[in-house]
Amino acid sequence: MATVRAPAISERFVALLDRERVIDHPLERRLYSRDGSIAEGDCGLVVLPETTEEVAACVRLAAELDLAVVPRGSGTGLCGGAVPLHGGLVVSVARMTQVLEVDPEVPCARVQPGVLNLDLSVAVRHLGLHYAPDPSSQQACSIGGNVATNAGGPHCLASGVTAQHVLGMEIVLGDGEVLRLGGTAPDPPGYDLRGFVVGGEGTLGVVTEVTVRLMRTPPEVRTMLLDFPTVRAAGEAVGGIIAGGIIPAAMEMMDRRMTAAVEQFVHADLPVDAAAVLLVEVDGTPAEVAAHTAVVEAVGREHGARHVRVARDEAERALFWKARKSAFGAVARVAPNYYLHDCVVPRTRLVEVLERIERIAEAHDLIVMNVFHAGDGNLHPLIAFDRRDAEQVERVHAAGKDIIEACVAVGGVLSGEHGIGLEKRDFMPLTFDAASLDAQARARDAFDPWGRLNPEKVLPLGSRCGELVLDAGSLPPGTWL
Amino acid sequence: MTEVVAPATPAEAAAALSDATAARASVAVVGGGTRSRRGRPVPPPDRELRTGGMRRVVAHEPADLTLTVEAGLPVAELGELAASAGQAWPQAEVRPGSTVGGVLAAAASGRERLRMGAVRDSLLEVVLATGDGRLVTGGGRTVKGVAGYDVPRLAVGSLGTLGVIVQVTLKLWPIPAATGWFGMEAPLPERLAAAGRALGGPARPASVLLLPGALAVELTGPDEDVVAPEGMAALDVPPPARRGRGLLEAGVPPPALGELAARAEEAGLGYEARMGVGTCLIAVESAEDVERARGWALALGGHAQVVDGPDDLRADPWGPPPPGLALMRRMRDAFDPAGVLNRGMLLWEATA
Repeated sequence: MATVRAPAISERFVALLDRERVIDHPLERRLYSRDGSIAEGDCGLVVLPETTEEVAACVRLAAELDLAVVPRGSGTGLCGGAVPLHGGLVVSVARMTQVLEVDPEVPCARVQPGVLNLDLSVAVRHLGLHYAPDPSSQQACSIGGNVATNAGGPHCLASGVTAQHVLGMEIVLGDGEVLRLGGTAPDPPGYDLRGFVVGGEGTLGVVTEVTVRLMRTPPEVRTMLLDFPTVRAAGEAVGGIIAGGIIPAAMEMMDRRMTAAVEQFVHADLPVDAAAVLLVEVDGTPAEVAAHTAVVEAVGREHGARHVRVARDEAERALFWKARKSAFGAVARVAPNYYLHDCVVPRTRLVEVLERIERIAEAHDLIVMNVFHAGDGNLHPLIAFDRRDAEQVERVHAAGKDIIEACVAVGGVLSGEHGIGLEKRDFMPLTFDAASLDAQARARDAFDPWGRLNPEKVLPLGSRCGELVLDAGSLPPGTWL
Repeated sequence: MTEVVAPATPAEAAAALSDATAARASVAVVGGGTRSRRGRPVPPPDRELRTGGMRRVVAHEPADLTLTVEAGLPVAELGELAASAGQAWPQAEVRPGSTVGGVLAAAASGRERLRMGAVRDSLLEVVLATGDGRLVTGGGRTVKGVAGYDVPRLAVGSLGTLGVIVQVTLKLWPIPAATGWFGMEAPLPERLAAAGRALGGPARPASVLLLPGALAVELTGPDEDVVAPEGMAALDVPPPARRGRGLLEAGVPPPALGELAARAEEAGLGYEARMGVGTCLIAVESAEDVERARGWALALGGHAQVVDGPDDLRADPWGPPPPGLALMRRMRDAFDPAGVLNRGMLLWEATA
């Protein structure tokens, strides 16, 4: 496809929007060449539409000029999904930040895609409602980006990931056509295209409006910290709690290194000498909370928990969650950069995989820290490093590859909630055979027969049967991953 | 004459479809046959593919709350297996004889959708035998995962028009400590008010059903929570399913459901309105009933499909097509290029 460097092209977009919403200064373009991952691409022009019509006009013009279109939310993604390649056009929805409608009777909210995740929950809190998916980046990530990656978060254990909370959407296809999919009326006839777009990583269309389900805030919540002498004991407690017949609202684990880093940052009086800490939250009616708390406490102690600390009040509960959600920021105290992984393994294999990851890190002479969604087996091993040290970066990548292979070897999947993007694209054949990759490519082509949207993401080159690949698996020149 | 094909394995199913595509032979897919009277009436198909021979339990991991089975397995058998581990598949709407694949192909969500979610949310991994005989795996067997495109969600509700669902991994849930149905009989305004109170909490009911002359609420949880709401009494059995010559499934925005039920009640049609969800099953006797009830649903911002009934009720089983029909047809072409599977079942296809 063409690139957008020619000044005449920039002027065409200025005519559609206005000058301040078309970015082509090299320094600013450089900012848009990255996201929250460690990938860096090549950004052509950035446009900042504010309405569906403007998005459609930009996409139509991109089609006329044969430009690739890379949709972008807040740019907090961790798999390189929003990283433009070959000077493609970045369509940022960062200015589409209106909550268009809240209907407490459904209950649901209709929002523009640039609305930040936490802002939505704050906007509906007075109605006793909240938006359930709560990624750790929820202060910065957008609903549009959440839809693209099918984002999760600690509270998805009981209430499900983004796909279960998106009722409907408006989407601009690669030729500029605007479609409304789904809505508050359940199960419209035909295929569930709405469900397919969630997790589509911006390769199926530009989502310009989302109707999300809101949930009633439960009458009672109890949040507990349990500290364990070994990681194995904590992992077995996770399985024991599930086997006890309950699905807690959230069940998170932090290892010793991570707990120490976080404690220095939030001063929550965390048990820094514990090998592993479990953060477990139960909610519901008073009777449900009492019954579920009893299970968590009993199973915890049976597996050697030294203490079960129950948050005394909302302030302490907020502190526990601050500790969990600021974990990634706290890593800055250990090393300047980190590479955050995202794999899911069967809950029953959690302990052995954690031990394997520790050995992988040791073998590559790296520091790995763990904070993750233990309840659903969603691991987030984090490798702290210094990107100025090229040799170390190589070891980081080698360790990352070993971690992914270790997870897949026990029946795991490549990503739990971050997505595939560029980062894991070439690992897809580890879990899908050729026929399955080809089918995914054909389904994608049904949405975007023009290949306009976020090309080269998600599926490795050569996924389509008969696709000619000279250098399979390599990223475009100039891409830093 | 329709030739019956009964594959015993997913590979055999794929081979049978490859052969059908080569011969351009139309194929009807049949699981338990409990939801086969759908779509536009079609001439007898060249072949009928029965999934009942594919019923192996591939993997049962109670501690992971996951179960992998071949899709011809009857749901009743799956239920027994899950129950032996204190678990269930609560999102499914089960009829006597239903198969796992049939429930998923029809996206048949049960009465507990209010609390447990839609059946499409319970499918973690799917293996499809496509119309042209490819075996395609989508999703993953872990309880959470976003690796690749969501082929499982595409398969659910596709009524066998993309491929035959031959194997699935399901997410199971623990069986709650206690379950109870409660009911009341009262005039509509009182029933609607009681439904509103039940939906408003603090308990999260599994189900709130508005029925002609009655309201039924299912509560689950610890014993203390499973007690009769004010003005309601315990029911010995769940309310029976609605039946007419045909069944229309309407979906409207949940706040409009009371209005839809009121119209059905006024017209003397049997119905089961799943409050808080937006689904209403309406018993229909004639094509006029279909048209009338669909008209109400459309006016309330929804839609209505005939999901069961004899040919004369299915001249227009779907109502107006949704946005994206062209895209849906491209999707069908991607999975079933010769269009051999379940012709006339979906997508406003001509059947001549």
